[in-house]
Amino acid sequence: MKVKYLIEKIEGEAELEFDFKNGLVDNVNISFPFYRGIEEILKDRDVMDALVITPRVCGICNHAHLIASVRAIENGLSKAGINIYLTQKAISLREFTLSCEIVHSHFKWFYLVALPQLLNLDGIKKPDNYILKASWASTNIVKALAIFSGQWPHASYAVPGGVSCDPTYEDIIQAEALVDEVTRFVENELIGMSIDEYHKAKEISNIKGDMATIFGMMAKQNMKEKGKSYDRFVVLGEHPIFQSGLYNKKYSNDISFAHIKEQTQHNSKAKSVTYKDMCYEVGPLARAILVKNDFILNLHDKYKDSALTRVYARLDETIRLLVYMKSLLANLNVKELSCTLAKMPKAFEASGVGIVEAARGSLIHQSIIKDGKIQKYNIITPTQWNLSSGTQKEAGVAVQAMKGSVSIKEATFVFRTFDVCSVCTTQ
Amino acid sequence: MGKDTMESVKKLFTTQSAKVDTNRGGEYYTDLYETCRKRLDELKALPVVNNKLDFQQTIMDEGLDRRDFLKWASATTAMLMLPASFTPLVAEAAQVMNRIPVVWIELSDCAGNSEALLRSDGPKIDKIVLDIISLEFHETLQAAAGHQAEKQLEEAIELFKGKYLLFVEGAVPLGMDGQYGTIGAKAETFKDHLLRLASSAAAVIAVGSCATYGGIPAAAPNPTESVGVMDVVSGKPIINIPACPANPANMVGVVLHYVLTGKIPELDSLLRPKFAFGYRIHDNCERRAHFDAGEYVEEWGDNGAKNNFCLYKMGCKGPMTFNNCSIVRYNEAVNWPIGVGRGCIGCSEPDFWDKYAYERPMANANIKAPTGGVERTVDEFGLALLTAAGIGIGIHAVASAVAGKKNSEKDA
Repeated sequence: MKVKYLIEKIEGEAELEFDFKNGLVDNVNISFPFYRGIEEILKDRDVMDALVITPRVCGICNHAHLIASVRAIENGLSKAGINIYLTQKAISLREFTLSCEIVHSHFKWFYLVALPQLLNLDGIKKPDNYILKASWASTNIVKALAIFSGQWPHASYAVPGGVSCDPTYEDIIQAEALVDEVTRFVENELIGMSIDEYHKAKEISNIKGDMATIFGMMAKQNMKEKGKSYDRFVVLGEHPIFQSGLYNKKYSNDISFAHIKEQTQHNSKAKSVTYKDMCYEVGPLARAILVKNDFILNLHDKYKDSALTRVYARLDETIRLLVYMKSLLANLNVKELSCTLAKMPKAFEASGVGIVEAARGSLIHQSIIKDGKIQKYNIITPTQWNLSSGTQKEAGVAVQAMKGSVSIKEATFVFRTFDVCSVCTTQ
Repeated sequence: MGKDTMESVKKLFTTQSAKVDTNRGGEYYTDLYETCRKRLDELKALPVVNNKLDFQQTIMDEGLDRRDFLKWASATTAMLMLPASFTPLVAEAAQVMNRIPVVWIELSDCAGNSEALLRSDGPKIDKIVLDIISLEFHETLQAAAGHQAEKQLEEAIELFKGKYLLFVEGAVPLGMDGQYGTIGAKAETFKDHLLRLASSAAAVIAVGSCATYGGIPAAAPNPTESVGVMDVVSGKPIINIPACPANPANMVGVVLHYVLTGKIPELDSLLRPKFAFGYRIHDNCERRAHFDAGEYVEEWGDNGAKNNFCLYKMGCKGPMTFNNCSIVRYNEAVNWPIGVGRGCIGCSEPDFWDKYAYERPMANANIKAPTGGVERTVDEFGLALLTAAGIGIGIHAVASAVAGKKNSEKDA
């Protein structure tokens, strides 16, 4: 039996076509009916235009696109023999703003998507509307971001060699105050305890607040057994707080870019992507596994890559990032240079790769530049890893996770544990 | 560009419609006040369309008092270019906004404007006002999803036929028979979807540069043959709120103006509300003094950059961009691009990806800076821009004819 189902509320639309066998989901075809052609638009433009165009791929993770695109240019320049280095200040500011965006996205996912969907799955007819909570938390954290980036969404404050802003102590204090406010929100609303207590909590059952609500419901829906995929993870972006590498039964830090392959899929405008011809999961769970976060490893030992582990990893990351952001600000030396590369070389040839960890996982920008103009630009988004229908050989990560679901409602909740976004997937 | 077109374009930009008139005389404002008073009383008598949130309660929940609210109301009155005596009316209008149904649809976009709306770039009360707007349909913000949401949209269109404001985010891809973007179970193309919803709307508001001019999807080579709302919809009042993202303060302004007067605000030749797009970024820029003093940033991270000098030589497009970012700023007014030393990219102007693009310094851009200082009006600037570039103005000329008509109706 085939059933078509539309997924909305993901910044665009996705269509899932379910194949049922004996009352269980047997296969799913995922397609995104949307295309803008950003890579085509980038062709033949000045390389610096990428910094203003690529953020516009996505209204949610635009900042990650900016950082990936500036890293791609910097990587290209280094390979072309131009000395590129960033001051600690520029590194910290980029880390801070990127973390703000990840945290904001996680809040939005939790309050606007995960919680309402789970309430719906639980059969609650009129679920609470969490818009105000989502809006309050995410507004405040992107405000901290905008202090340094000028605006959010669609800032372009990162430039090759650093950042364009030159914040004062006052700016930093203002940002610290916002991070503190959001931290208090997390303590009061999300986890119902102080972050110190949270770090000491050994079991999920000790956690309170909205997180307790979602775990209560997930337990009821047996989500510790649902949503399991291949249990393979990859993290490609290099950041002080994350560890790049692979996990497929065992850990490996030996990643070669040559093994990453993009493939067009029929029926969808999105491309699938594989590593050594295998599908890998990217995102907060992958990051927690690779960085060997005890809490998540403990859950993973028990429940593998289930929906529960995945949801938990995203929320846990929100908390860890807030602590990280606070330390970045506390250690910021405003006297350092913001940008070390004064003049961009005019006509240069280069090919560069820029990878960052975005809210949904590893984001890759590749550019080939000739005479200072973009010859070819390629973007591989996190959702292409997680949400493709798969390859000839195996089903996509999310498809695998949805197999065996008893209903469309249950399967779509599993789908959403990956944090769906169609605009990035198809560009 | 042919001579005829050039002539018509010149005419267009020198018409009265392009001038910002902030003082229309006592009689005009007395009449307007009466109209607004009557309108608000009528609205108050109407049932609340959607009673999800109570305005007073929400203000209290956000920890704001009446004084903050009135401060916001007087600032908004000034933004809408109304005399201070209108402040109590604006305050009242904010409280009856939930009588006006709003339907918000997303076409070929990145959802950045929805994000801006949700994340609220306006000062705090703008955000609350946006929560109060009766959003009858918004894919991301409503509780319903999937088929249920589709049903809700159909019901809203039927129930509020001819009364709702249709906010459109995203461009309209026309290539491949519209197959670059479809919506719903029947795979309706974005164009058909837009036309269907627009036909029952009171007015159509294009939010962001994609909905206004086709934006980034329409940038060369325009792979999906995308256009803006005004190139597709006809026979309905259209208001453009460009910028990438559009500033929520301006979205609020448009809705408030409609609540208050029952009319759409006065528009320029690109159908942009003049209260927001009547001046250039440059006119009110915090770094303007450095421009006048000839103090520029010349290289990233140089001494000029450290001292917040003017970004003109780094390619800032503030002198040829009409928008109020330099006043309202972004993200609850914490900052804006020029504030972090990254110049304006001209994102509220037509075809800015191709003509303006940030990194092209002014001299290498296809546009020419207007000369003559701040006192230059929109009309004259339009001419300077057109003589230098004159690209892609055809569609806007058509749109402007509609705008001109609207203005004359309004003024009459």
